[in-house]
Amino acid sequence: MIIAENVHVHFRRGLLRRKLQALNGLSLEVYDGDFFALVGQNGAGKSTAMYCLLGLLQPTSGKVEVMGKTPELGSQLYQSVAYLPEEPHYHLYLTVEEATRYYSALYRRRVSDKAINDVLERLGLAQFKTLPLSKCSKGMKQKVGIAQCLIHETRLLFLDEPTRGLDPLVVREFREALREIHQRGATIVMNSHVLSEIEMLANRVAIIDRGKVVVQDELQNLLTLDRELYGVTFEPNGSMPDYIGSIERVGTVVKASIPKERLYDFMDYTKNSGLSVHECSLKKTSLEDSFFKIVKDGRAQA
Amino acid sequence: MAEVLKANILANFAFYRRSRLLMAFALAFLLLTGLSSLPALFNNSGVQSFNALQQIFSILNVFLLFLAGGLGLFIISSHLRNRSLKMVFTKPCSPALWLASAILSAALVSLLLHGVVLTSAVVLSLVWKVPVRAGLVFVSADTFIASLGIVAYMMLLATLVHPAIAVTLVLIFNAEMFYDAQVWTQAVIRSGNASVALRVLEHIFHGLYLVLPMIHAYGKQTDVVNTSLRVLHGDWKYLLYSLGYVLVLTAFCYFVALFALQRKRHI
Repeated sequence: MIIAENVHVHFRRGLLRRKLQALNGLSLEVYDGDFFALVGQNGAGKSTAMYCLLGLLQPTSGKVEVMGKTPELGSQLYQSVAYLPEEPHYHLYLTVEEATRYYSALYRRRVSDKAINDVLERLGLAQFKTLPLSKCSKGMKQKVGIAQCLIHETRLLFLDEPTRGLDPLVVREFREALREIHQRGATIVMNSHVLSEIEMLANRVAIIDRGKVVVQDELQNLLTLDRELYGVTFEPNGSMPDYIGSIERVGTVVKASIPKERLYDFMDYTKNSGLSVHECSLKKTSLEDSFFKIVKDGRAQA
Repeated sequence: MAEVLKANILANFAFYRRSRLLMAFALAFLLLTGLSSLPALFNNSGVQSFNALQQIFSILNVFLLFLAGGLGLFIISSHLRNRSLKMVFTKPCSPALWLASAILSAALVSLLLHGVVLTSAVVLSLVWKVPVRAGLVFVSADTFIASLGIVAYMMLLATLVHPAIAVTLVLIFNAEMFYDAQVWTQAVIRSGNASVALRVLEHIFHGLYLVLPMIHAYGKQTDVVNTSLRVLHGDWKYLLYSLGYVLVLTAFCYFVALFALQRKRHI
């Protein structure tokens, strides 16, 4: 669906035209039907990568192909592509209904009033139809963006930090809408800082660091990247064995982790010392853990 | 394609409708017409009424030229600044189509406002019992044609530079200024100071005068019509010439602005 090969982007900034390397040989591949997440720190190059994939930014060098074509502004390629930018990049002078109608009309397909009204009703925007986007909350604006994906059969959807600044209720609604669009067969490329959300939605992840993809894999592989640990919560009464790690004290209670092979040693220790154990469960590596480990390892190698 | 063009034009109309620019136009229009009409209420001769009408009409037409600049400037600079074009160009709507719709929208709004001013002038003529002269139509058409050129030129500048720089270029560094500068250097050369630097400067000013767009390309030929509001048979051809000049200018501005828009690394 999307191929980016060795993409370099650099900007010239300031009076001295200092070179700023935004992408440094970025390569990635998104398959048809993926829910693909671009993860990285601020300034890692996620948004720049997305702009290149969308054709909004011309790479300095390298190749980008979306559905077999090089993305060019406003080309026919976008017939089945939708993009939800960060908050301010909508036509703020239009009302909710006007914006929905306008964005739909740009797809060169006739959309009935009923279809527009139905989708606004479904997204809970019907009562705000006449409200200008400049006066809408971020959640409402994002719903206007989502409306176009529901009106047209979008094959490829790009989301740039879609849930930043949204309240938890709207995030949940938004997540459900994304799941529905994905289930309809759309490929989704999302760029987000919220790793827990990516864990819930994405099936493939690319971790970007300093303008380069350091890891690109199935989410499941990244979640089980490290050896498995047990997470334990107990009340110690003195010194603790060496194999207990990641110790975090909350009052008299200790939250810690132990390697899987030391589980029976830990059970003996708590039994012999007469300690009360509140919780003991298999602890899987989170995307956050993997992310930090990969970025740290990558930098150490560099 | 027509559907997309229509959608863009309707969105641009909404932009103009909700911008304070047109609100300012409406207020200034009422104020200028109202204030300029006051003395005419006490006129008891046809000549005085005609002079008042000619003055009001002239002021409003100059105002429309400024407004045309605003229409062209704001539609581009506002969309570029808000980055809302991302939402347009990531759909099957090319920059060429969007830019064409922006020019058309500004031209249509300008046409509408010229219509309002012309109708007002005709109404005032009837109320003050001044003969409705063909010059009203001629001047309106001439100003509208000039407005088209200004719209296109401002759109080009807004695509290339910051709006403040664009306004400075149009208000100060325009063809008239370089014409005056050329006349001044010629006068100095004729008075005996024929240094090489001055001759080079004169050529530069002349070149810039030729390159920069003119508001009224045939202003000298049609100046009498503006004051007398009488049109001779031979005057109408200058409208066609002006239209030709403006169409070429608009096409040039359109293609350069399109090139600049497509070459922008970051929309």
